[in-house]
Amino acid sequence: MKIKIKIKRFNPNEGEESREPYFQLYNVEAGEGMTVLDALLKIADEDDPTLSFRRSCRSAICGSCAVSINGHAKLACKTQILPERHKFGEILVEPLANHAVMKDLIVDFSPFWNKMSRVTPYLTPPPGRQEQADDVKITPADEAAIDRAQTCIMCGACNSECNALEIDPEYIAPAALAKAWRFVGDVREGEKQKRLERLSMEHGMWDCVRCVHCTEYCPKDVRPLKEIELLRSAAIGRGITDNHGAKHVESMTQSVKRVGRLDEAAMTFKTLGFLRSLGMIPFGLKMELHGKMPMPLIFSQIEGMDEVKTIFDEIEEKKKEKE
Amino acid sequence: MRAAIEAAKSGLNVALVTKVYPVRSHSVAAQGGINAALNPADSWENHAFDTVKGSDYLGDQDAIELLCREAPEDILALERMGAVWSRDFDGNIAQRPFGGAGYPRTCYLADRTGHGILHVLYEQVIRHGVIIYDEWHVVKLVVKDNAARGVIAIELKTGRLHRLHSKAAVIATGGYGRVYKTTTNALSSTGDGMGLALSAGAALMDMEFVQFHPTTLPRTGILITEGARGEGGYLLNSKGERFMEKYAPKVKELASRDVVSRAEQTEIDAGRGVDGCVLLDLRHLGAEKINERLPQIRDIAINFAGVDPIEKPIPVRPGAHYSMGGIMTDVNGMTAIAGLYAAGESACVSVHGANRLGGNSLLDAVVFGRRAGAAASEFCFQTAFPEFPDSSLKDAAHEVADILKRDGGEPAFIIRGEMTAAMENSCGVFRDKERLTKGLENIRELKERYKKVSLSDKSDCFNTELLAVVELGNMLDVAKAILIGAVNREESRGAHSRTDFPRRDDEKWLKHTLINKTNGELKISCKDVTITKYKPAERKY
Ligand SMILES: Cc1cc2nc3c(=O)[nH]c(=O)nc-3n(C[C@H](O)[C@H](O)[C@H](O)COP(=O)(O)OP(=O)(O)OC[C@H]3O[C@@H](n4cnc5c(N)ncnc54)[C@H](O)[C@@H]3O)c2cc1C
Ligand code: SF4
Ligand code: SF4
Ligand code: FES
Repeated sequence: MKIKIKIKRFNPNEGEESREPYFQLYNVEAGEGMTVLDALLKIADEDDPTLSFRRSCRSAICGSCAVSINGHAKLACKTQILPERHKFGEILVEPLANHAVMKDLIVDFSPFWNKMSRVTPYLTPPPGRQEQADDVKITPADEAAIDRAQTCIMCGACNSECNALEIDPEYIAPAALAKAWRFVGDVREGEKQKRLERLSMEHGMWDCVRCVHCTEYCPKDVRPLKEIELLRSAAIGRGITDNHGAKHVESMTQSVKRVGRLDEAAMTFKTLGFLRSLGMIPFGLKMELHGKMPMPLIFSQIEGMDEVKTIFDEIEEKKKEKE
Repeated sequence: MRAAIEAAKSGLNVALVTKVYPVRSHSVAAQGGINAALNPADSWENHAFDTVKGSDYLGDQDAIELLCREAPEDILALERMGAVWSRDFDGNIAQRPFGGAGYPRTCYLADRTGHGILHVLYEQVIRHGVIIYDEWHVVKLVVKDNAARGVIAIELKTGRLHRLHSKAAVIATGGYGRVYKTTTNALSSTGDGMGLALSAGAALMDMEFVQFHPTTLPRTGILITEGARGEGGYLLNSKGERFMEKYAPKVKELASRDVVSRAEQTEIDAGRGVDGCVLLDLRHLGAEKINERLPQIRDIAINFAGVDPIEKPIPVRPGAHYSMGGIMTDVNGMTAIAGLYAAGESACVSVHGANRLGGNSLLDAVVFGRRAGAAASEFCFQTAFPEFPDSSLKDAAHEVADILKRDGGEPAFIIRGEMTAAMENSCGVFRDKERLTKGLENIRELKERYKKVSLSDKSDCFNTELLAVVELGNMLDVAKAILIGAVNREESRGAHSRTDFPRRDDEKWLKHTLINKTNGELKISCKDVTITKYKPAERKY
C-alpha cells in the first residue's frame, strides 16, 4: 500500500531563497512491520538521496534515529508505519524539538553531549584513591537501584520533549540527570555529596517542572523523572537544602502538615525569602488578572486535617523503623 | 575505545575518530555476554580448549591462551571502571552457559552486555580526556615507507577533509556484515577499516570465514538471540517438522551456530521453507514464560516482524553475523606496517579461527583493544614524529571531488543491492566452486560500474549519500577478498562449508589465508597456524 510521508527539510547549503525549512511529501510503498526508518532509507535510496538523517543499529539500541513523528519524539526504527498512520491519519516526520537543526532531520547534538559531560559521567573512586577497590560487594539490590538509569541509550527523546529545557536552554535536562543518578545511586561512588551539591545549583535538577514528558516519551522506559526524584530526595537527605528547589519542597511539606494543602503565598516567602518575594508581586498581579490567583489569599485548614496528620505520623514512624 | 583509554593512561595525546558518536557503535547491540573463566571450578585452560575446538583448529593457540588467561582480569577491570555485571544470589558475578562452552562462563549485564560495556568505555574515554572527533569518517590511512603517518577524515557537518597526523593509529572499525543482504549488523558495519588497511598495504587474513547466525528476522536481519532456543524454542519447517532432530539428534536446536544454519539452509533449499525462512516456535512455552524470560525477544518480534510469539511462530533464517577474518595482527595488535595497529572485529589475531564462539568477540575487542593501545603507546614513546606527506591530503580531496563531480552515472544503491545479493547467493552458508566463481565475476563487474557511480546530493553538510559511496568502495574490496579466499580454500572448516569439498583437510589447509593488494590487484598467500598443546582432532559436539 502507498503511504504519504511528510518530511520537514532544511539544507543550509542551498540557495538563499530555500534556506528556510520546508515540507516535502513522499509516497512510499509500505507493508506490515515496516518502520519509519525503513521508509526513510527507502526514500533516500530510491527517491531522494539528498534526504539526511542519522541511523545505525535499526534495532532501538544505538540511539541514533530519534526524530519527531506526528508531533512527538520517537525512535524512527521502533515506530511502525501502519499503526502510526492508523492512529494519526498521517505520517509527519520532523527533527527533534529543543535542538538546533543542521540539515533535514539531523540536529546539533553537541549541547546534549556537553550536558552529559557536566555531570562528570564516570564512576569516581573515594577521595584519595586512584581506582575502585575490587572488594566492594555489589548485591542484586545495589544493581537494581541503578538498573533503569543504566538502560539509557542517549537518544535525546526526553530532552526534546522537556518543558523546562524549552524555557531554559542551559537547563541540565533529563537525560543527563538520569545519568547523574546512575552514579549517585551506585554503592561504589565516592563523591555523592559533591555531585548532589553541584546538581542543586542553578540550571540543575531543581529546575525540572515535573511535566512527566521525559518519562512519557522515553523509548527505553528509563523514566528520568523518577531518577530526578531520587536525586532530589538524596540531596535533601544529605542536608543540601540551601537552594530554591529544596526549600520549596520543605515549605510544601510544612504547608501540607499545617493546613492540609499548599499555601502558595506563604510558600513563595519561604522559598524565595522576603525581598525576592516582593519581586513576585507583579507575577501575582498577572495571575490575578487571569483569574488564577487562589482565593482567599490566607488559607484556612482543610477538613479532615486529622487524616493528614496521621499520614505524617505514619511516615515518621516508617522512617524510624528503617533507621 | 579500549585502546584509546590505555593509550591516554600512558600520558599520550589521544584522539578517537569515529563516524558515529562512540555510544552508537555496533558493539551496543551485543546482548548475550562476554566469556571469562572466573569460577575456581573452571579454568582458563578449559576456556582455551573450547575456543580452539570451536575455531575448528584454525585459531592460533598462543593468541587463544593469552586471550583466555587475561580475560578474568579484564572483566574485573571493566567493573572497576563502572560496569555492574549481573549478580547471582550471593552477590558474585553471575555466569550463564553459552553454545560450545564446557562451563557456564559467560558474564552479562542483563540482556544488554554490549551496551553496558560500550557506555562504560565511553565514560572512561571522557574521564581520561581523550579528544573525540565524532561524525568524522576516515577515508584514508596514510602510510609512507611502510610507516603509518595518520589518517584523513571527512567531517560530516562541514564536508571538509582533515588530516590527523599521528605517530600511530589503531583501527577498530568493526565488522562488514553489510556486504550481505541479510545481516544482524548495523547500517554502519561496512568493514571500512579492512578495506582501508588493504589499500594501505596491510594484509587481510581468513576473510572467507563468515559466521551466519541461525535466527535472524527475514527483511531486516535483526537478531533473535540464542536464548530463544536456550529456553526451549523449536525450529519447524513448512510441514511443521522439528527438523533439527534429523541433523543433531542429541542437542537438536542447541547445536552450534554453523550446524543449525546449515540445517536451516538445507531445509529451505529443499523447498521445505516458508517464504525463504523456517519457523521459530515459542508458543508451547506459554505466555508466562515468554513474558518472564524472553521479554526483549517478544518486543523485537512484535516491533520488527509484526509477530507476537505467544500467538504465532517467528519466521527466521540464517544471516551474516560476524567476521572471523580481518586485518592480520600479532598478539599486540601490530600489523606489518610500523605504527599501524588493529583490534576488535576488524582485526584477525586470530583467536576465532574458522568459527567464533558466542561471547568471545566482545572479549577479543576488550583484551586485544587494551593490548593494542598499550603497544601503540610504547611505539609512540620510542619513535620520532614521521612526516605527513602533503600530497596525500590533496589526493584524497581529488578523489572526493571526483565522486562529487560525476554526473549521469548509476546511483550507489543499485550496485550495493546487487553486491549484497551476489554475496548471499554465491558465498552464503553453502558454497561451491561454480557459484563462487560466478560471484567473483559479479563483483568484478560491479567494481567497474562503481567507477562511474554518481550522486544527486552535491552539498557539504551531512552528505550521507557521499558517505554511502565511499563505504561501497570499501565493501566491494572486502567482498572480493571474501570470495577469493572462499574459492581458494578447497575444504570445509567451521563456517566455510564447500559442498564440493565437504571434509576438513588438515594436511593441505591447516593454514591461514592472507590477502594483499599490490598494484590494485588482490594477491593470495598462506601462513601456518600456531599450535601449542591442542592437537587438531575431529570437531564433534
Ligand atoms: C546483534 C549482535 C549481537 C552480538 N552479540 C554478541 C555477544 O553476545 N557476545 C559477543 O562477544 N559478541 C557479540 N557480537 C559481536 C560483537 O558485538 C562485535 O564483534 C564487537 O562488538 C565488535 O566491536 P568493535 O569495537 O570491533 O566494533 P564496533 O563496535 O562495530 O565499532 C566500530 C567503530 O568504528 C567506527 N568506524 C567504522 N568505520 C569508520 C570510518 N570509516 N571512519 C571512522 N570511524 C569508523 C564506527 O563509528 C564505530 O564507532 C554481536 C554482534 C551483533 C551484530
Ligand atoms: S519532568 Fe522535568 S525533566 Fe522531565 S521533561 Fe518535564 S521538566 Fe523536563
Ligand atoms: S532517558 Fe530515555 S529518552 Fe532520554 S536519552 Fe535516555 S533513552 Fe533517550
Ligand atoms: S537506528 Fe539505532 S536506535 Fe534507531
